Amino acid sequence: MNETENIETTATNRDLSNAPDMIVCENVSKWYGDFQALDEVSATIKEQEVVVVLGPSGSGKSTWIRCINRLEHHQEGRIEVDGIELTNDLRNIEKVRSEVGMVFQQFNLFPHLKVLDNVTLAPIWVRKKPKVEAEEQAAALLERVGIPEQADKYPGQLSGGQQQRVAIARALAMEPRIMLFDEPTSALDPEMIKEVLDVMKELALSGMTMMVVTHEVGFAKEVADRIIFMDDGQIVETGTPEAFFTNPTEDRTKLFLSQIL
Amino acid sequence: MTISGVEGTVSIKPPPETPKLPPREWLKENLFSSPFNGFLTIVSTATLLMIGRGLLSFIFNPERQWGSTSTNLRLMMTQAYPEEQYMRVWVCVGIIFTLVGLSMAIWNTGSRITLRRLGSFLLSTGVVIDVLTLLAPFSSQAKMIWLIIGSAVIATGGALLRTDEKNQDVSTLTLMVATLTAAILALWVVPFGHHSFVFDRTPRSLAETGTVALTTKLPWTIMLLIGVLAYFSGKTLTTRFPSKNLRPTIIGIWFLAPPTLLYLILRDPDFDMGHVLNTDLPIFLIFAVIGGILLTWFTRPTTGEIGRVGAALILLAGFGMFFTPMRMIIRILMLLLAIFALAAPTFAGDTKTRRRYAVAWVGLSGIVTWLVTAVNTPSTIEVPGDFFIGGVSLTLMVAIFTIVISFPIGILLALARTSKMPIFRILSTWFIEFVRGIPLITILIFFSIMVPMFLPRGMELSEVSAIIIGYSLFSAAYLAENVRGGLQSVTRGQHEAAEAVGMTTSQKTFFIVLPQALRVSIPPLVGHCIGVFKETSLLAIIGLFDVLYIARNVIPNQTEFLGSTRENLLFVSLIYFFFAYQMSKASQRLEQRVGLGER
Repeated sequence: MNETENIETTATNRDLSNAPDMIVCENVSKWYGDFQALDEVSATIKEQEVVVVLGPSGSGKSTWIRCINRLEHHQEGRIEVDGIELTNDLRNIEKVRSEVGMVFQQFNLFPHLKVLDNVTLAPIWVRKKPKVEAEEQAAALLERVGIPEQADKYPGQLSGGQQQRVAIARALAMEPRIMLFDEPTSALDPEMIKEVLDVMKELALSGMTMMVVTHEVGFAKEVADRIIFMDDGQIVETGTPEAFFTNPTEDRTKLFLSQIL
Repeated sequence: MTISGVEGTVSIKPPPETPKLPPREWLKENLFSSPFNGFLTIVSTATLLMIGRGLLSFIFNPERQWGSTSTNLRLMMTQAYPEEQYMRVWVCVGIIFTLVGLSMAIWNTGSRITLRRLGSFLLSTGVVIDVLTLLAPFSSQAKMIWLIIGSAVIATGGALLRTDEKNQDVSTLTLMVATLTAAILALWVVPFGHHSFVFDRTPRSLAETGTVALTTKLPWTIMLLIGVLAYFSGKTLTTRFPSKNLRPTIIGIWFLAPPTLLYLILRDPDFDMGHVLNTDLPIFLIFAVIGGILLTWFTRPTTGEIGRVGAALILLAGFGMFFTPMRMIIRILMLLLAIFALAAPTFAGDTKTRRRYAVAWVGLSGIVTWLVTAVNTPSTIEVPGDFFIGGVSLTLMVAIFTIVISFPIGILLALARTSKMPIFRILSTWFIEFVRGIPLITILIFFSIMVPMFLPRGMELSEVSAIIIGYSLFSAAYLAENVRGGLQSVTRGQHEAAEAVGMTTSQKTFFIVLPQALRVSIPPLVGHCIGVFKETSLLAIIGLFDVLYIARNVIPNQTEFLGSTRENLLFVSLIYFFFAYQMSKASQRLEQRVGLGER
């Protein structure tokens, strides 16, 4: 990819205070049985902002991010995405889901469809796009994530990194305004992590609103506008990458950083 | 050595060749590696030889009345189908052969087999022939002939094994056609004898010497030619048209074939043209036009909730028509239109997609109209008894209709049982558990005797149709459980990924979940189909003339062949085995084919 020199100039230090709100969470709580997974989580994410959510495993990061496109249902509080409140109303959920792209840890590509069909299926049937147009767009997206030559293969024939890039292209094909990443590199071999992170950096620089759950500290430092640290279902600390990594205020944050750095 | 793989053509180092053991050492390693192993080998060989000898002396015992089988072949195939109309049966067989030939070409069936493997296959076949000949209670002359045949096969195999071009291969299709040609040539050359029934005042059978009757060998020769011709025309078709158009067309024709062959060709319906032109055609045209316009409107992406309400209204109207006197065809078309309207939002899209949807409606409603008309038209084939055809034809007919009808019902039941909506879930669970708790024979008896009595006045249902309906419901319950297993194997991640790109539940089911679930359930589903085919033999118990009933009750009661049950049962079991084995082979090929995109 030729964006390498761009990537060095990070997206941080942007002034987003006047940008409109994209995701608003107010006192969101969720229980699995008796176990409280989310405890009054409140946060606002602005348009074009890149937020990285850090935290030990079991801290509720994935649950939170999955609540935002209602793969999980929150039980208390409210979540508003691009001005639409998430309730049980099916129409709202469909509207939100077509605004929000999601990338999973396990890729979750459709194994019975070729790569190209993986990308075009939703635009054709959900967005009602003409087939030719959808295929042109898919080809362009596969080019953008750097695997145009794999369009006619099945997902099972690709490496993990390539599969995750197809998954990103599939999400982008719906032309979402927000992208959610749920540990996108955790299931990858080390040598494939970079190719996925490069795609994500390029995406962040293009102005996409992004929420990323990850353990990649390098990515967080380089690309994030803001870091949210979670533990025990609560937001413990929020801050710019510089402040968060060099000067954490909370003890739990310090403990976590000492373990991963 | 080069291999063309994922990354194009690359040169690779060939693996070291496994040294081929000389026969003596191969025997030692595989059959006599230890004293106990050697003992087992000897005992099992002796047992096999004894079984073979017993079977052969049963078959070739002079007391066996094999004439009962060969004289009654037509009875076993089609029961009392009138001889002067037999052309119709051959037309059906011809159409099936055409379709088989076309499909084989379009799906590119057949593989290549190396001369070496062919050689060793022939070698072992020849050895088996010789051994069996030695065991069989033949006359010395027959023994000589068979020994010579066996040795000739061995010699051919040996020659093939010894050629320099061992790795050259031939197509299995060529071999198949060669074998079939040889078999049909044998009909013209070998004096199998000519057995026939003469229906005089006292029916008697005739056994003449010479080759088989012209009415047997000529049609089969033509059938083979038709099959080969169809294959080559299929090959030309594949060069002209893309396979993504050809394959769905052929699949559609395959689905249309059973009712067409049955109602249009075999039954020779006596269409009342005046009625068709005055009533059926206008009804179809009205439905086609109005339905087409409605559906083009329903499939607009912007229609939204009004479309759903409209579809529900059509469904209500369709149900309402069952309570008012109305032509059956109107009721059925109304329900079909409701189904199309309900599915419309799933298939909404650009103009091309919407036009295709409307065309699908016109086509399907046309087929349904024609089918209902054909079913309601009386047959002109005069046969004694209840149903116009029996024997293998009846067995196959019931099996095919049951399988085809129970598939969609079974899938719907499985989806309902796994659905989140409690009413559907409870209803389908109860249905499945209820049907699975009842023996098949009970259901068959119930549908053959009771159901025709409960029908509303003016509605008639032949015994065979009633049985097919009952059997389909039974089969659907089992099929639903197989499909449910497949549905559960689709991971949660797949559901989430489909939901995350904004698909509705029906889109998710149709495009993501079902294709994966059905692929996983191919082995149990094919097992189920084989079961359905074999269990049609229960029809014999309720007195339908299926092939088993004919073999067990009809033929052994003919004056010439009294008590010839065992011969005919053996023959019938061969027929069942032939079809069941073909299904099993087809499923293996299908598994290999769809295994391509496996995770």
